[in-house]
Amino acid sequence: MWNDLLFAFESVATLANVLAMGAGILAGVVIGAIPGMTGTMAVTLALPFTFYLPPVTSILLLVALYKGSTYGASISAILIKTPGTASAACTVLDGWPLAQKGKAGKALNMALISSCIGDFLSNISLIFLAAPLALLALRVGPPEYFMLMAFALTMVASISGGSLLLGVVSACFGLLLATVGEDMYGSFRFAMTEDMKSGLSVAPVLIGLFALPELLRLIMFREENHGQAMKLGDNRLTLAEFRGSLKSIIRGSFIGVVLGAIPGIGPSAAAFFSYGEARRSSPNSENFGKGELEGIAASESANNGCCGATMIPLLALGVPGDVITGVMLGAFMIQGLTPGPLLFQNNLNEVYMLFIGMMFSSVLLFGAGKLTVRFFSHISSIPQVLLTPVVLMLCIYGIYSISSSMFDVTVLLVMGVVGFIMLLLNIPRRRSSSPSFWGRCSRTICAARWPFRAVIRPSFSSPPFPGFSQASSCSSSA
Amino acid sequence: MLNKAMLRGLLIALFFGTVLFALIPVHVPRPSFIPGFAPPPDMWPRTVSILGLAHGLLAMAFAALGGGNETSDEPERGPASAVEWRNRLIRLALALAAFAGFVVLVPLLGFLASSMLLALACFLLAGASGRWVAVLALAVLLPLGLQLFFGNVTHTPFPSGSWSIFPTLN
Repeated sequence: MWNDLLFAFESVATLANVLAMGAGILAGVVIGAIPGMTGTMAVTLALPFTFYLPPVTSILLLVALYKGSTYGASISAILIKTPGTASAACTVLDGWPLAQKGKAGKALNMALISSCIGDFLSNISLIFLAAPLALLALRVGPPEYFMLMAFALTMVASISGGSLLLGVVSACFGLLLATVGEDMYGSFRFAMTEDMKSGLSVAPVLIGLFALPELLRLIMFREENHGQAMKLGDNRLTLAEFRGSLKSIIRGSFIGVVLGAIPGIGPSAAAFFSYGEARRSSPNSENFGKGELEGIAASESANNGCCGATMIPLLALGVPGDVITGVMLGAFMIQGLTPGPLLFQNNLNEVYMLFIGMMFSSVLLFGAGKLTVRFFSHISSIPQVLLTPVVLMLCIYGIYSISSSMFDVTVLLVMGVVGFIMLLLNIPRRRSSSPSFWGRCSRTICAARWPFRAVIRPSFSSPPFPGFSQASSCSSSA
Repeated sequence: MLNKAMLRGLLIALFFGTVLFALIPVHVPRPSFIPGFAPPPDMWPRTVSILGLAHGLLAMAFAALGGGNETSDEPERGPASAVEWRNRLIRLALALAAFAGFVVLVPLLGFLASSMLLALACFLLAGASGRWVAVLALAVLLPLGLQLFFGNVTHTPFPSGSWSIFPTLN
């Protein structure tokens, strides 16, 4: 085994691999920092390039893009109150208040360090815990998925500022948006236009709710800094601050690993779980939402903790956990590698190379993060009256490029107005639920044949997917 | 007295009440046959709307009793004169008109020209009129650069509009 590892290390440590990982991480950070551009888009765009690269180099490039974009989303969340992707929605809660206090640099550094630690622990878990985590992931059916998402929603309600009641209202609004579109019978809910039949995408809703209200507030009240540049401020993270957040970073990484290994849960729910738990257990819980470094640490360690873990079901079982790993599955197949148990038997050397490369990419992520923090920190010196309309343009072009649909742009603008009304009424804007939440919930009830039996006696202890096989006869979609 | 907390509760109740009593009966049709124990399609929207409506009414009740916790998203502002409020509302209305105008103009002028106009409107409404050079440069060059980037890198087909002011860039 050690000889294999040494050989794999030698094979990975080539200039081509290091360049591919470095370029992937840098590009991922930049793409993730642009609102509307997602890691999925970055990985999909890079897929054609992998035709011309050796197998391990191409997979490492895609993994690096994924990791970079997950971290990059925190940059715009902290500096311009706009999460680059849904997984950074929690980072806004404390990142933006810190930036307003002149501690944007500190917030960015905490995001970077916690992302790197989460990512590193996720890679370790991929190497040593792939088999048990893959078995755990196999046993999660619609009832467990529904319970996890419902728990994540209670977290959303509980972390919503000072009012639990308004948090529940916010969660209800998100759940209502998730019901729009096709249901499990093939009929349509709230299909007032032809485009609404396919439901509302998460990206325009989320970015509309977060990014556009700032522009409308600036236009209406004209009180944001009066054209003055926002100072980057103190950017050195002290050892005491890091030690104070270490517990949340470790816990967040663990939450990210477990939820990342379960197909369909994703980094966004993991970040909310971790943030809620950090807030519950922290001695500084009253500072959460007002600029608490521990909040950023909890959120960022969890979402980057998912990165390596999402590879677990892909590598161990050949099952992609989300869209990004679905694209990676394509890259594996293009290179003649078939993910699944046989991969460890037939291509052990490539697997070791991949593991070592992924560990190395965590170090590169730190370096790229340090470089880009300096670059992106200049954003905070741009006057708000110029920056905010620029963000609107980035959002509009980013959202349009995802689906080439004017409907999504319209949803973005409408949600911006809705978000502004919520802002004026002090109703917290958090996140909308995934449309698949309702589908899983319906399947759970359908499979259990009695709603409460599904909750009282979930199928977790029974063989994999018992409910799913029954439910799939009722429904194939949400 | 209709204070902010009361108004908030009222608007929440009105929104979810409208969804429950007006939108769901019309826009969430029930199929003629529902197999077994499967929940009907309107079950979840109704459940969420009832929950939202109840919370809206609760918020009103708390406001009437003098409660209603405030969240920290929005800072408290001092009182503004009637003229200031009129100007604020005019600026907001113009911003909303710019958003609506953008959606209407894209099929006519194309994505690029409409984006330039929207960007210009937003810069001016946000109060950047004193920086004419920066505003004009950003309003023209930013949409142009973004369209070139997305058109060439992601091959996004941007609508050129029926009036075709700008030729296709990608």
